[in-house]
This record gives sequence, C-alpha cells and structure tokens, in this order.
Amino acid sequence: MRRFWVVLTIFIILFALFAGLNIALGSVSIFNSDSGTARKILWDIRLPRMFAGIALGGALALAGFLLQTFFNNPIAGPYVLGISSGSKLAVALVMIFFMGAHRAVNSGVLIFAAFAGAVLTMVFVLLAARAHGSATLIVSGVMIGYICSAITDFVVTFADDASIVNLHNWSRGSFSGTSWNDIKVMTVVVLVTSFAVFFMSKPIEAYQLGEGYAKSMGVNIKAFRVALVFLSSVLVACVTAFAGPISFVGIAVPHLVKSFLKTSKPILVIPMCFLGGAIFCLGCDLTARTAFSPSELSISSVTALIGAPVVINIMLRKKRSA
Amino acid sequence: MFCFETKQLTVGYNGKPLIKDINIQLGKGKILTLIGPNGGGKSTVLKSITKHIKTLSGRMFIGEKPADALTNNDFAKTVSVLLTGKLKTELMTCYDVVASGRYPYTGLLGILSGNDKAQVQAAMEITDAWDLRGRDFSEVSDGQRQRVNLARAICQEPEIIVLDEPTSFLDVRYALELLQTLRDMADNRGITVIMSLHELNYAQKVSDFVCCVKGEYITRCGTPEEIFTRKIIAELYDLQGGEMSEWVLKTYTET
Repeated sequence: MRRFWVVLTIFIILFALFAGLNIALGSVSIFNSDSGTARKILWDIRLPRMFAGIALGGALALAGFLLQTFFNNPIAGPYVLGISSGSKLAVALVMIFFMGAHRAVNSGVLIFAAFAGAVLTMVFVLLAARAHGSATLIVSGVMIGYICSAITDFVVTFADDASIVNLHNWSRGSFSGTSWNDIKVMTVVVLVTSFAVFFMSKPIEAYQLGEGYAKSMGVNIKAFRVALVFLSSVLVACVTAFAGPISFVGIAVPHLVKSFLKTSKPILVIPMCFLGGAIFCLGCDLTARTAFSPSELSISSVTALIGAPVVINIMLRKKRSA
Repeated sequence: MFCFETKQLTVGYNGKPLIKDINIQLGKGKILTLIGPNGGGKSTVLKSITKHIKTLSGRMFIGEKPADALTNNDFAKTVSVLLTGKLKTELMTCYDVVASGRYPYTGLLGILSGNDKAQVQAAMEITDAWDLRGRDFSEVSDGQRQRVNLARAICQEPEIIVLDEPTSFLDVRYALELLQTLRDMADNRGITVIMSLHELNYAQKVSDFVCCVKGEYITRCGTPEEIFTRKIIAELYDLQGGEMSEWVLKTYTET
C-alpha cells in the first residue's frame, strides 16, 4: 500500500505539471499578449483541449485495461484490435452524411455511431478469435483495423471539398477543436463509465485468475463479459467521436501502471490507469503541439513513439518468462 | 443425509451425452476419487459437478438442496475447486491469490474484512503456505503453487472441495502433503472431497470411495478394497498381459 501512495503522489504532481504546461505553453504566449486575446486563447482553445486530453486519455487507458482483461492478452488494446478504426469508419460515414445534408452533427449522434462501429468491430474480432484461438486475435484485429482505415480514406477522399480538411485532421487523431459543449458530453459519459468500471474491480480481479476460477467464485461470466464489451466500447467510442483514433495509450499505460504499482489489483490499477492515461495524453499532446510549433504533429505519432517501445518491452518479457 | 448426491445424472458437451446415469451418494467428510483412463470422462464429470458445464439430465443435490436452486454466490460458498492445469497470474502475490477465495463473502468492492483476513491466514497456515504470502505467485515452484491454490479453495469455506488431478506436476513429497491435508480436512472439519487422480497408489491410500469412469458409464463404485482387484483394474485401463502390466496389477491389487 505504501507503494501505491508514493506512485499516486508522483502521478498527481505530474498531472498538475502537465496540465499547467498545457495551458501555459503554445505558439502564442498568453503572458505577453493583451488580456482579451490571452483570455480567448485560454478559454476557447487551451482549456477545452486540456480537458479533452484528461477525459479521453483516461478513457483510452481504461478501455485498454478492460480489453486486456477480457482477452487475457497484455497487448490487446482498442487500436491494435481495430476497434478504434471501426469506430472511426462509422463516425466518418455519419459525418459525411450530415455534411452532405448541410446539417450540424450533434455530438450524441457521433458517440452513438462510434459506439455502433466499436461494437461491430469487437464482434468481428471476437468471432475471429473464437474460431481460431487467441493467437489470431491480434493479427485479425490489426487487419480489420487496416480495412476500416482504408475504407475511411476512400470515403474521406470522395467527400465534399469543404469538409475534407476537417475530416482529415480528425481521422488522424487530435484533441484540437474541442468545444465546451463536447467537453460536457464527454465528461459525463467518461465519468459514468469509469465509475462503472471501478465498481467492477471485484469480478475483474476474479477473472484475472481465469474464467474457470472466476466462475467457481460465483461470477456470472456471461453478464460479466457483456459488461466488459459494453463498457470498453463506450469508452473507445467516446474517444473516437471527439478525437479520432489514438494509438498505443491503451496498451502502454496499463502496463506501466502495473509495473509501477507492482500489482495487478484492479481496485488500485483502475483509478491509476485513468490518471496515468490523462498524464500520458497531456504530455503527448503538449509535445505534438509544441515540438515543431507552429506546425502540429498528430497525437498518434507521439503516442506511438512512446507507446510502441513499451509494447516491444512487453513482448520481450513475455518471451523470457515463457 | 448425504452431503452430495446425484440421481441419474447425465453429463457431456454440447448436448451430446458422454457419461450417463451417474448415481453418487457421498457422506460428509468423505473422500471420493475418480479413476480411469485419459479421455475417459473424469474431468467432464467433475466440471459438471462444479457447474462449469451444464448437466444434460438428472439431478444433483448439495445436502438437501438441488444444486440448481443455489445462487452463484451460495454455490461458491459451498463448493470450491482446484482446476487441472497451472494457474497463471500477473503481479499477484500468493496472499492475493488465496484472498481471491473470499470472493463470495466480501462486499461490492471486494475489500477484505478482519474476519476475511483471519480466514486467509488460517487457510495458508493449514497448507503450510503462510511463509510464501509476500512472494509473487508466478515465481514460486509448482509444489508451492498448489499449496497456495489449495489454501485459496479452503478459505472459500466450502463444504465440498472438487479437485481435478491435483497431484499432476507434483513430486512425491508435495503430492503426499497435499493428499494428507485433504485427508485431515475431511476427518477434522468434515469437508467432503471429490477429485480425480491418475496415480493409483494415491487413490488407493487416500480415498473412502473410488469410482471407475470409462466411456459411457461410471462402471463401478466402491471402497478401495472392492475396486482395487486384478479384474477391475485390468479392465478399466485395458491392461492385457505383458511384463509391465503384470507388475502394475501385482503392485496395486495384491497388497
């Protein structure tokens, strides 16, 4: 437990640091410009963007943790399994449809489309894994991801000229352009879902020993699995609807959190995953914005740069212990 | 009254019956061992008893209650299991693994109460695993792992423990320790034990009753003295002549 408090303290300090930097740093200094502009930049651009990073980063890390539990595979995650891409395709189709009809898209509709896309892809991946065992899980996930991304590219290319810029930015993944209204919706969805995940920590812990043992302890396996699919899909959907697909956060953060805490107890890991995901995304977004300012990197290039080595590390460790 | 009873129970996978008309009556504090060849259906019977697979027909009683009438949670408080194969964990201490046995007793978030902790410690002391409490479960030896796993099953405070080949992976010393613990639990605490074993000598020594499982039916049930006869064992495992078969039969049936 002492370890938990130490890690928590460090996480809170990092969180405050990155949140502060995200507000303070940028291509325009908020300290030197006149108060009206500074206020506008702060209030309309940086603050919403920071909140999006926190909520969606936390959501991604939790979704990853749930998927790893579900598939009993440490490198399962929303991006690797193609769920982000499936969700992205659904959102792109809905966006283009609404733009074609010259109507504004309501964020609730986007989340719902993203959720439908996520669940459909998840079912596809599940069927593939059931037919051929978990060895094919990651491969089929990656392939489904590529297919969905390819179709998204097609539809984006053929979409109206005016909407292309908008769609193109979003389909690469970015926290930019988040409105306060979006923040309200995502905060409610992510908070409710995250609390639900936290209250599932008891059956998750039992499930970590394997399905057979979980069942023998009284876990209703079917209901539990449905709940996991539902909650992880909602989390992924929320991220995709507002920020597009973001890679590797879902794998890297839970792994790092577990190795810092030296335990896999869900009741400790779940809140720390949320906090860790928020820190990770705040840090990556800060880098994406400021590294080559004023031009901006896509957030996924930064998360991949940090996250992919973590995945390699997991695989090497797995080999060694096997 | 029996602690565990089945009436005309038929078990199998996907609606296909594998073993039919199982009638077992087992008193409190008795040890029943299933023996029989690989693929004979021992695991299927055990998994049906633990409700891991659905029974196809017939009835099963825990005490006086039909097993179906118990909720998941109540069933977990009555029957605990040690599944075959190795338990794999990630970053869990031996204590954490044992504590997971308290699942049916803890509240919404699974936080251990004082009584839960006392039960965990008591169970770990019974199986001589208390010294391992701080060690990572994935890093202790197979024998130690099985001690921890048994402690997990014990701290679930069951009336019945079901074990599927608990002695595979174990050397003689650990296997005997495990069986001795089961015998003590049965004699001193009235815990009923149902398990499958490959090693005939262990089955002969530790059991109150032995059932032979092969193919469609449980061919025979009885005390070890009744079952370990040349004819029954030779038939059960298809031992036909040959020097080795002869030696095995001599060892297990003429003592």
